[in-house]
Amino acid sequence: MLSFLDNSLLSARYSCYQKVLVLGLLVLLLFSLMLVSLSVGAAVSSPGQSQNAAPPRVATIDWTLVETLLSLGVVPVAAAQIKDYQTWVGEPPLPEQVVDIGLRAQPNRELAASLQLDLILISPLFSAIEPTFSQIAPVQTLTTYNPDNDFWQNLVETTRRVGEMTNRSAEAEAVIDRHRARIEQLKEEMPADTPPLLVVQFIDDRHVRAYGKGSLYDMVIRRLGLQNAWKGETNMWGYTTVGIEELTTDGYLIVVDPVPMSAEGVFDNNRIWQTLPAVRHDRVLSLPAVWSFGALPSAVRFADELYQAVTGHAGTHSGLSDL
Amino acid sequence: MISIRRPASPAYICLPLIILCVLLCFNLLRQTLPELSLGGFDFSAASDVKAMSTVVLQFSVLPRVAIALLVGAALGLAGVLMQQVLRNPIASPTTLGVASGAQLGLLLATLFAPGLLTFGGEWVALAGGAISLLIVLSLSWHRGLAPVAVVLAGLVVNLYIGALSTVLILFHQEEFRGLMIWAAGSLAQNSWSDTLNLLPRLIVAAVIAGLIARPLALLELDESSASSLGISIRKLRLVSLGLSVFITASAVSLVGVVGFVGLAAPVIVKLMGARTLMQRLLWAPVFGGLLLLTTDLLLIQYSAQLPSVVPTGAMTGLLGAPLLLWLIPRLALKDTSASANKTTLQSAGKPTSRTFLWLFVLLLVSIVAALFVTQSPGGWVLNDTAQWASIANWRLPRVLAAAGAGILLALAGATIQRMTGNPMASPEVLGISSGTAIGLIVTIYFSAHVTAPLLILAGSVSAIITLAVLILLNRRTGFQSERLLLTGIAIAALFDPLRSIFLANGDPRIQQVIAWMSGSTYYVDFSTGLSALLIAVMMVALTPLVARWLDVLPLGRNVALGLGLSVDKVRLILLGVVAILTAFATLIVGPLSFAGLLAPHVARMLGFSKALPHLVGSAMVGALLMISADWLGRQMLFPQEIPAGLVAALLGGAYFMWGLRKY
Repeated sequence: MLSFLDNSLLSARYSCYQKVLVLGLLVLLLFSLMLVSLSVGAAVSSPGQSQNAAPPRVATIDWTLVETLLSLGVVPVAAAQIKDYQTWVGEPPLPEQVVDIGLRAQPNRELAASLQLDLILISPLFSAIEPTFSQIAPVQTLTTYNPDNDFWQNLVETTRRVGEMTNRSAEAEAVIDRHRARIEQLKEEMPADTPPLLVVQFIDDRHVRAYGKGSLYDMVIRRLGLQNAWKGETNMWGYTTVGIEELTTDGYLIVVDPVPMSAEGVFDNNRIWQTLPAVRHDRVLSLPAVWSFGALPSAVRFADELYQAVTGHAGTHSGLSDL
Repeated sequence: MISIRRPASPAYICLPLIILCVLLCFNLLRQTLPELSLGGFDFSAASDVKAMSTVVLQFSVLPRVAIALLVGAALGLAGVLMQQVLRNPIASPTTLGVASGAQLGLLLATLFAPGLLTFGGEWVALAGGAISLLIVLSLSWHRGLAPVAVVLAGLVVNLYIGALSTVLILFHQEEFRGLMIWAAGSLAQNSWSDTLNLLPRLIVAAVIAGLIARPLALLELDESSASSLGISIRKLRLVSLGLSVFITASAVSLVGVVGFVGLAAPVIVKLMGARTLMQRLLWAPVFGGLLLLTTDLLLIQYSAQLPSVVPTGAMTGLLGAPLLLWLIPRLALKDTSASANKTTLQSAGKPTSRTFLWLFVLLLVSIVAALFVTQSPGGWVLNDTAQWASIANWRLPRVLAAAGAGILLALAGATIQRMTGNPMASPEVLGISSGTAIGLIVTIYFSAHVTAPLLILAGSVSAIITLAVLILLNRRTGFQSERLLLTGIAIAALFDPLRSIFLANGDPRIQQVIAWMSGSTYYVDFSTGLSALLIAVMMVALTPLVARWLDVLPLGRNVALGLGLSVDKVRLILLGVVAILTAFATLIVGPLSFAGLLAPHVARMLGFSKALPHLVGSAMVGALLMISADWLGRQMLFPQEIPAGLVAALLGGAYFMWGLRKY
């Protein structure tokens, strides 16, 4: 009956339909290929001219180590996912001539082999690539995230070791001293009556990352003589994902940028958010983005931003207005 | 349909769940409002703590309970419709690509038009789901939306879109933090709006489902008798598929991907004795809602101690899968003989030795390209044999491994598809690759020193354990296809939680895990690659031994028995072979390489239908697919590398969609 009618009608149009379908599929394929290449936009720059002889030709795939190298004045020959480094770590910026060797989990070996490297620095996270990369150049593994030790000491140790490996020991000590002094100074100037802080980053409109023991933020807070209000369990990198109803602190609630688009509605029309003690007592501070897995420079930058936010807020009492 | 050994009713399984839910709910209330236990609750008291707990109860806890029930019910209903229309017990509401389409939509919006998300991520997800549904329907429309065509189209669209999404996630893990929680299905609520959105849609859908239940039940008859009763089959299929997808899309766009309930709830109530379609339409939503709520309440209760968010969607597998595994050997399913319903696409043209020749030439071309043509920072380069040392060091192992894994997976896929007569069957569906992957991941994260022999040992042991579970649960019943596939799916569902915890928590190891899980030759060294290829070639050489069995088995159990085949023994042996093939491939390139699913279908499209040519043809297609995918994956986004499994899905998927138009 109806299905029969449908069928006869369809067979009449069949060849036309077929063409449209083929065309559609081709367009689909083309579109998806375009989309993938567009979204990644692999920026490939040619290998840089040989540097002054002193530091070895280093490549690293770990962003914390990139930051450490740059703080010592060593420009790596190659780094991984440079575009994303610029977006998420940002400071200090990577110079143009650094070669992008691809994803951090699977950096391009053939490309790395063509760069005449002297040294490859990785963190234990990427130990899977060690056996093959050690055929290209000596591989050194540096452990910064080790929950058993004091985090600040880990960062100092990493900086020192990177300094030794790149013939920059003197610079390393100077960098360590400078950053330590800056944190000490901020600690002195921080208002004595600053309440405990709860540092979060928004993931979506219902979840945040709360940073506790073992994280960069927590280490900075405690070095500044303040208290971290997050006492819950954390993972190996010092954070945990929780719902916003868990953020019941009486002290400051620190929201670190970037707040994703999908979470922006939270501040205006979410009853739970509006009932949080920190929100009702106008104690929410917004901080510019600082890479949460950073090295010494990130730590000091976070301390600076935190100091400005806390003192600025104590002066004007208008924390929510900028949210 | 079901022969019953004892009186059974889904009520037996729903009642304990209800009691459990009530107890858990009570406990949750007591935790949220400690004042309750002291008797009387003073709502007027205005301390911070009290205000907070009241608001949390009102806008977080209660909506969460409601949404869990609603989403579970919606997916249960959608699952019944889907399984009825597609006549496939392993179909689920997400079979037609709704969830993956929604996810791709959200991923793209996050990258290119984040403004859309403030306007409403729900609509972006709905649009994505709708587009993928349209693609599926247009691919299967000219076959009158026949179940096998819809299933195959859904399968390939799912794979294709899923692979695209995975590529995007691989390259943008930081941007997608929030989406990963959505993708794992978190039921966390902050208002009643989701509940109020879903409830009216679910009511409308339930009414329509009730109206079409009677004609829909006739779909169990074969097509000609159903249409002689005056039903427009295509219209009926369109309405019920559309209804199922509408409910699924609504649920998924609101709370994220909660897949397993939609598959498990209909199957479990059927196993528990809901025989007619009407009974299943009633019981599956009830059971689905209860299953999801129980999982969620248990999670709330026990996940507080964990340093990570544990999304409910993926976790339904933890509760549902053991339940399914427990039920499977207890109740008998009818053995759907493959000949009864047409489960595979028959090819139009006949294969000739010329097809083999062409495949062989293409294989050679792809090998040469993979070894000698590459991109460098300066542009495309054609290497000559002078650079052989570097080629042998970096490229040869990958080409060998890709070829070996492609052959192994294709053979496994062709065998399992012929053995079960189910076009959705693939090595992944049997659960062995998931089992192997569980073993490998657990080893990697619990042992201080990971070495290659340790990994091989762990992988093999867990593959053997998985195989043992499959055999133990299916031995008594003679390895019926449906039961076997359901067992495999249940095992695979156990793997999901592991994966989604990684994804949802933004664990820094996520990129490595995704890359390995999507079929990558990156970590292979020369000896592994060579042994992979040698084993694969050996397996191809052994195919004549099983060819006769695989010619006879698709004719159905009775025919096979009549021809003197000892069916149970043969199925046991074949299962063992598939397990070995899959375990090897998983050890080399990871658990998810679509070659095992696609290569046998592509070989069939090329015209190989008898067992021996089909097996050999599949092996060649598998090798070709994986070698070219590996090469393209290394070149397309140079210097970034895309895992071969993903490119294989894009390549094979595109060819498959193009091929579907002819059938």
